[in-house]
Amino acid sequence: MKIGTLICILAGLMLATGAQAIDLEELRKALEGPKQQQPSDQKPAPEQPGGQAAPAEPAKDKPGLSDLLGAVRGVSPEEETVIGRQISGNLLGAAALVKDAKLQAYVNRVGRWVALQSGRPELKWTFGVIESADINAFAAPGGYVFVTRGLYARLQDEAQLAGVLAHEVGHVQQKHHLKLLQQQQLLSAGSSILAKKLKDKDSVQRLIGSGAEIFARGLDKSAEFEADRIGVVLATRAGYDPYGLPAVLQDIGAVSKDAGSVALLFKTHPHPDERLAQLSEAMGERFDRVKGARNLPERLYPLK
Amino acid sequence: MSKDMSRVKRTGGAFAATVALALSAVLTLGALAAQETGTALKPDDIKAEPFKDAKTIGRVAKGDRVEILARKSGWLQVNAGGKRGWVRMLSVRRGQAAGTDVGKEVGGIAGIATGRAGTGQVVSSTGVRGLSEEELKEAKFDEAELQRAEALAVAAADAKAFAAQGKLVARQLAFLPGPKTGARQ
Repeated sequence: MKIGTLICILAGLMLATGAQAIDLEELRKALEGPKQQQPSDQKPAPEQPGGQAAPAEPAKDKPGLSDLLGAVRGVSPEEETVIGRQISGNLLGAAALVKDAKLQAYVNRVGRWVALQSGRPELKWTFGVIESADINAFAAPGGYVFVTRGLYARLQDEAQLAGVLAHEVGHVQQKHHLKLLQQQQLLSAGSSILAKKLKDKDSVQRLIGSGAEIFARGLDKSAEFEADRIGVVLATRAGYDPYGLPAVLQDIGAVSKDAGSVALLFKTHPHPDERLAQLSEAMGERFDRVKGARNLPERLYPLK
Repeated sequence: MSKDMSRVKRTGGAFAATVALALSAVLTLGALAAQETGTALKPDDIKAEPFKDAKTIGRVAKGDRVEILARKSGWLQVNAGGKRGWVRMLSVRRGQAAGTDVGKEVGGIAGIATGRAGTGQVVSSTGVRGLSEEELKEAKFDEAELQRAEALAVAAADAKAFAAQGKLVARQLAFLPGPKTGARQ
């Protein structure tokens, strides 16, 4: 049995390079002709919001990568929700919602407003503050976003909350976690299609691994930097101070690296200093002209 | 703060007095901690006002220690070697002059003095657990809690009304190019 598992892992590792190559090839195709890469039967239209002009340019930096996943692998919004529910239900099994209906309603209003500025305004977005002293936030496919009590407690105004939520919305918009699962599937099962793994609850759980460990592994650095860039833009589009997210990162960056409350965050994300340096480069002076942005410190709902 | 104090009073007795004493000590520390420090990550101008075209009144060199006085959007008001002005927030790393955990503790407590996030301190002392790798791996699906979460979702119209209440106005803005494709833009 053990030997069998070992062989599987080894086979998976050998396939790894091949899988990467496939993805890169598809990405290149998508970059060359993103329009042609959208099969009409698979890809739901709302990916490109019709109602709002602002979000109509989904991440120029990685065009087609998120579309690619949906289009090429055939993950429907329903399937995405099935996966997101399983991950979120597991996370909530480890850390329940903070029992404060007003707090949760507040976070949902801010979050939904931010998500309305994203490339996926139509999703049924669900936000929540969970009982954990850790400093962290999580996003799952389908529009599930959770912030820990430990992180919420450090926020100083609504613009900072919006920035944190917007970073997570960015992960959902770009389907970062779906893409991760997709890659893992390629590694472990060759060319199997993600959708085929969604027959029942058990297969969904097998797909995402054990419990909510997907959050313990984290995404690659570039996905985090991308979510930071998207987060700043979404919060700004929503009328908030663009520097809400950077301010939170700066605050977390001052927390001792050895503190238990940031152990998981620092394991799964680049250090805040590195994220700020990347953001600094990407933001430059572009946000100097933003006028009338709001911070709303008085509206930040106080934790009980 | 007044909320905390009233809670303290309810517990009564000598314990309350001790806590009250501790709180006043915290407030004093908070006042001291108002002088938060940081380090310049790169050389940058010190401006008289928090905007790009304001008069340049000095420079910080990489590694310079600055005292942080306030933040306004993307700018930090600093005291750098006797010069008081505004530096781009992302040119400064926030951190403690002392370089010790005591310094960090003080920084956290400063939040209480400003009336915010006393909650933060209270939380960490109530023993709310963290969320370790192990706990995530062993997490068991909780359908009831998930349904409670899903029931919290608000309609777009609700969110828009809430934004309007806060005088938040949506604006158009393109996504930022990534570091490698920036040239292609």
